[in-house]
Amino acid sequence: MRIKPLLPLGLIASAALVLTACSTGGTDAEAPETTEGGTLVYATGDAEPSCLDPHVGGNYPQALISTQYLEPLVGRDASGTITPWLATEWETSEDGLTWDFTLKEGVTFTDGTPLDAAAIKANVEHLQDPETQSSTGYLAVQKVAEVEVVDDTHARFHMSAPDSALLESMSQQWTAIQSPAGIERGMEANCQAPIGTGPFVVDEWVPQDHVTLVRNEDYQTPGPENDHDGGAFVDAIEWRFIPDAATRNAALVSGEVNIVDNPLPADIVAAEAGDEISHIDAPRPGAVNRIELNSNQAPFNDSKVREAFIRAANPDAGIDTLFQGTAPRSHSPLSSIEPLGYSDESLFAYDLDEAAKLLDEAGWTEGADGVREKDGEKLTVRFPVSTNQSTATEQSLFQQIQANVAEVGFDVQLEPLDLSSWYGALAAHEYEAVSAPYTKVGPDVLRILYHSASLVPAPSGYFANLAQLNDPELDALLDEASATLDADTRAGIYEEAQQRILSTFTVLPLYDQQNHFLTQGVDGVTTLGTVATPTFVNAKLTA
Amino acid sequence: MSTPKSIAVAVLNKLGAAVLVVWLTATVVFLALRASGDPLEAILGGPGSQASPEAVAQARADYGLDQPFFMQYLSQLWRVATLQFGDSYARKQPVADLLAANVPPTLVLATLAFVLAWVLALAATLAASTARGRLGRAIRSALTGIETVSSVMPQFFLGAVLILVFASQLQWLPATGGASGGARALILPVITLAVPIAGYLAHVLHGPLTEADTAPFATTARSRGASESRVLLRHTLRHAALPAISLSGWAYGSLLSGAVVVEVLFARQGLGRLLLEATTVRDMPVVIGSITIVALLYVVVLIVTDIVERIVDPRGTARRELASSGSDASTEVVA
Repeated sequence: MRIKPLLPLGLIASAALVLTACSTGGTDAEAPETTEGGTLVYATGDAEPSCLDPHVGGNYPQALISTQYLEPLVGRDASGTITPWLATEWETSEDGLTWDFTLKEGVTFTDGTPLDAAAIKANVEHLQDPETQSSTGYLAVQKVAEVEVVDDTHARFHMSAPDSALLESMSQQWTAIQSPAGIERGMEANCQAPIGTGPFVVDEWVPQDHVTLVRNEDYQTPGPENDHDGGAFVDAIEWRFIPDAATRNAALVSGEVNIVDNPLPADIVAAEAGDEISHIDAPRPGAVNRIELNSNQAPFNDSKVREAFIRAANPDAGIDTLFQGTAPRSHSPLSSIEPLGYSDESLFAYDLDEAAKLLDEAGWTEGADGVREKDGEKLTVRFPVSTNQSTATEQSLFQQIQANVAEVGFDVQLEPLDLSSWYGALAAHEYEAVSAPYTKVGPDVLRILYHSASLVPAPSGYFANLAQLNDPELDALLDEASATLDADTRAGIYEEAQQRILSTFTVLPLYDQQNHFLTQGVDGVTTLGTVATPTFVNAKLTA
Repeated sequence: MSTPKSIAVAVLNKLGAAVLVVWLTATVVFLALRASGDPLEAILGGPGSQASPEAVAQARADYGLDQPFFMQYLSQLWRVATLQFGDSYARKQPVADLLAANVPPTLVLATLAFVLAWVLALAATLAASTARGRLGRAIRSALTGIETVSSVMPQFFLGAVLILVFASQLQWLPATGGASGGARALILPVITLAVPIAGYLAHVLHGPLTEADTAPFATTARSRGASESRVLLRHTLRHAALPAISLSGWAYGSLLSGAVVVEVLFARQGLGRLLLEATTVRDMPVVIGSITIVALLYVVVLIVTDIVERIVDPRGTARRELASSGSDASTEVVA
């Protein structure tokens, strides 16, 4: 009687396993026939945007979807070179205080409003208006004092200080250009259906279910990834929100959807092994995924303790096994796709003896329970984890690191928290270690994350410098890089800045911010060289 | 007898309780949300948010967050009392619109699951009670097993297995409830929600039915020449169903909350998912609006259950009325 109840459950589970095992056969396909038209179905596992206008707030889910209907002033290719888009050319004055942009002629937004210099001005003002409640876009245009309308196709940016990151900032989806008439409708209407120049137009948004995007019949501004004249091939995109990764994969496998993002590592590996599903690996730019150690309070205000933690962490094995080879280890503060990223593997070599020695030197002695102590204090590390931003796989990795550093006497307390509580813990400085993603185009993200100015919290309580570095020399380097327009000099300064950051042992780089897509029944999906969002302008469904 | 007047009195009592429930719910939710974080995150776009001081000040003023704590509480209560929940912090849309879009799908899901749960529970119980001999014993022990497993089965696990088998592998049914999924997309989520409740109901039905089968009134009926099926349908089942009906209010309520898991798993639009997402970002108007609606729905369900109970078993009503009029409540009323 105790055994029987489990029988049906066991039968279902084993049937499921058998069926899974059988499915990897796959047919050997010739090049699939593609067709024009049809509806492409995209299933996202990122949070549903609360507003489809990426000027408002400004997070990755908004960048993902708005790539389909809004276009930025400039693009960036895979090598990091800025390319023309809505602006065909640009020029800066010698002092870096004015930028002249020439706009592509004859372009209109999908509501018929012309794309002119006045539109660019209206967009920058929209980003800077407190009522827009912008955070990412606001930071991107912080040094723009005013946009002057020279004539219809010429906009002049007057800067309050030179900004070597301006083009990178303006290539991001969070500063993409919208119809001024659309913005005029007010936030509620504009959040529902922003109006841009992109290959698709927002048609309908059913919250928690899907957004329907229809083809822009008058598409005129091919972006850097467009390989043909004219607009998109598919008639429409159904952009669906499917939070559960296993469900998303089931929907892909069964043909309900053509593209999924945020797949599980095992599903990526299975896709790579078969023929039916294709895999696109497009790491996000900006900062790498990393653990930062709070250098402003005990015990990590001692560089030796920080180094001991990093020497003992040994994340390699965990990254290999948990991510099944889909996430290469990083040794840089910047994403591997940032051309100016600097790596130094030697700083992160696994060495338990060295770690123990460093802790001995720092005066932390082993207690009875294996946790080190000093002056009656335990070597405790509070590590709040945002369950909204950290995947289950990453949380397993943190647990492995927790076990690894325990060997030299660290007591890491992982605290899984929802987003608001997590922000709360950071704002109250109730953390010694933390992992926070940050996506931005270009190395200027270093200024946001490690400049002492970022120690000052916004009134909402959040500050970006979570390592709490307060180093005037580093500040000077980051300011100088930001003001330096000469590419080679700038690269040199950023290298020096990164060396400086890594040598503080406040940063343990782990792997790129993961951005994988699996596709089935569709060809021609590419990702932009900016924030690695997918574009479907070349996509064709396969028959 | 169950008179319209007695029903009306009972309904009024329940409505009084409903007001209390909604007020308490609104208060607890308000305090919990305010105690656990600043809703400005939701307003200003969440992760990585480094809004300008101007934007933060603007948002604070726009949403009344610069008001004293008690004023915020009062205005929240006023909104609940008038069912005017204001605009969502995160979605910049009226909460009423969000509720209008999300309540119907959840009601459809929960109601279908409720009906299926009763059908499954009745079918299982009847099969177990009517089969005789060795076959009957075998069915009964198998059912007891299934009842036990299904009532403890975590919904996310059951749902995941169903998706794996019927969507991923066999590809008979869609995994998700997208706009294109239609009615077929309801099948797996409804089963997922219904099975644990069915197990519970079957459990509750089974015992009293066995008991009733040997009770004097069943024997009397048989001695009057009633057939077995007549005894079952007219007498014993009616008696046995009462505890299950009483539990139905609770069961329906648990379906409404169980909808969170199922809606996320099957990517369905609905109240559960709305509530979950709003809670993670402290979107207070949405959380308070959704919870108030759930509380109200729950109260309605309890009232309906009460009425159904009175119709199915007038004796209970008579007992209650005798009790309330001070007479000897133990007086046996003959069926």
